Amino acid sequence: MDSDVVLVIVVATALAFDFTNGFHDTANVVATVISTRALPPRVAVGLAAILNFAGAFISLAVAATVAKGIVEADLITPTIVFAGLIGAITWNLTTWYFGLPSSSSHALIGGVVGSALVAEGTAAINGDGLLSKVMVPALVAPLLAFVIAGTAIVIAYRITGRMRPGNVNRGYRLGQMLSGGMLALSHGTNDAQKTMGIITLALIAHGDIAADNFHVPFWVVASSATAIALGTYVGGWRIIRTLGTRIIKMDAAQGFAAQSSGAAVILASSHFGYPLSTTHTISGAVMGAGAAKRLSAVRWGVAGNIVAAWILTLPAAGAIGAACYGLTRIFGTGALGPLVVSVLALGLVAALFGKRLRHATPPPPPPPLPVAEVER
Amino acid sequence: MTVLATIVDTSALLKVVVYSLAAVVGVTVAVSLAILGATRFADMRADERPLEATAFAILTALALAASIGSAALGVAVMLSK
Repeated sequence: MDSDVVLVIVVATALAFDFTNGFHDTANVVATVISTRALPPRVAVGLAAILNFAGAFISLAVAATVAKGIVEADLITPTIVFAGLIGAITWNLTTWYFGLPSSSSHALIGGVVGSALVAEGTAAINGDGLLSKVMVPALVAPLLAFVIAGTAIVIAYRITGRMRPGNVNRGYRLGQMLSGGMLALSHGTNDAQKTMGIITLALIAHGDIAADNFHVPFWVVASSATAIALGTYVGGWRIIRTLGTRIIKMDAAQGFAAQSSGAAVILASSHFGYPLSTTHTISGAVMGAGAAKRLSAVRWGVAGNIVAAWILTLPAAGAIGAACYGLTRIFGTGALGPLVVSVLALGLVAALFGKRLRHATPPPPPPPLPVAEVER
Repeated sequence: MTVLATIVDTSALLKVVVYSLAAVVGVTVAVSLAILGATRFADMRADERPLEATAFAILTALALAASIGSAALGVAVMLSK
């Protein structure tokens, strides 16, 4: 009975994480579209939500990696998964509060690895999987997106550079609808699958699915898709502002290049089962599109803050996940620990939202015309 | 370094690099050519040069088809796994 209660709490917490993932990562998908005025903010967010939902149904390779490739599924208990999720949510909300686009994916993986490490020791961690499926792609993806976006913008300027800016901007804004759609789809594909993987891991730990007969039940796919789509729709305006206007001032061609590069890297990585950080990838692409035009176009100070959040995410979420597991175990191995920690987590969420609401600013108006566009 | 190469699936990583680069370069060229074609088409039509205008209209149509086709191909590849 106790284990059933814990499983229900884990599933609810995982879906809550998925919601915060969509909420937190809205910026990745819509910032460039809004920054270049290709779409109005509400339309961009609505479209992103729909395509995130659709994207979640495309593939299950990443879910398999999260469920089987990073921790030893046989040694994991639902309580370990729960503590990892709380670690990830706490870190996600903290970085959201400070307007930093850190990685929800790395928060999730860090949280689960941290709690598994405290609970079962190093035997519970698949070090090779963690290195090859998480750490190396974490380094490669943003650099790759940076280089590809830089290449794309050079090609775009080479072909259309001598034409009237008005026509060019209108054309790339139309192109951004295609590339932005692909980015939203790729985001749903990669990020929703992480939650599917975590819920499936909990189902394996609970004994509902055999570890050697991995499959993701349809209700897990559908509920994860819905949660990420809802989170995306509700959106995160603070992060939209950070990513959309504070890293670089973009023109439509740069927005198109950044979105296309982000979408291509995420889709290709999803195909091979890499649980990539969509935040890292699109941030790298945005910087690449800016740096290829002019190195000083990138606000490196803001970019540096984002990099610092990236570096901190895995260990910080891991530490919080480990602490949550310790706290949960104070109340024994039953359902009481997860219940108490859930209540504490809800209190933290309410406090953070309350504080944000007290200092609330209205959603930002559409950003001013990008500098590069005015100059042209 | 050798150990890292053994653990990491370099072949899959390399495929991610090649596929992403090829897709983005292809789509960027296609969309940019569509913009170029559409703009030149309008210019040529205004200058009453129908032959050149037709050529640029064809270029625009082909480039648009390539842009949308490549996006559809990307989704189809994802669905095939």
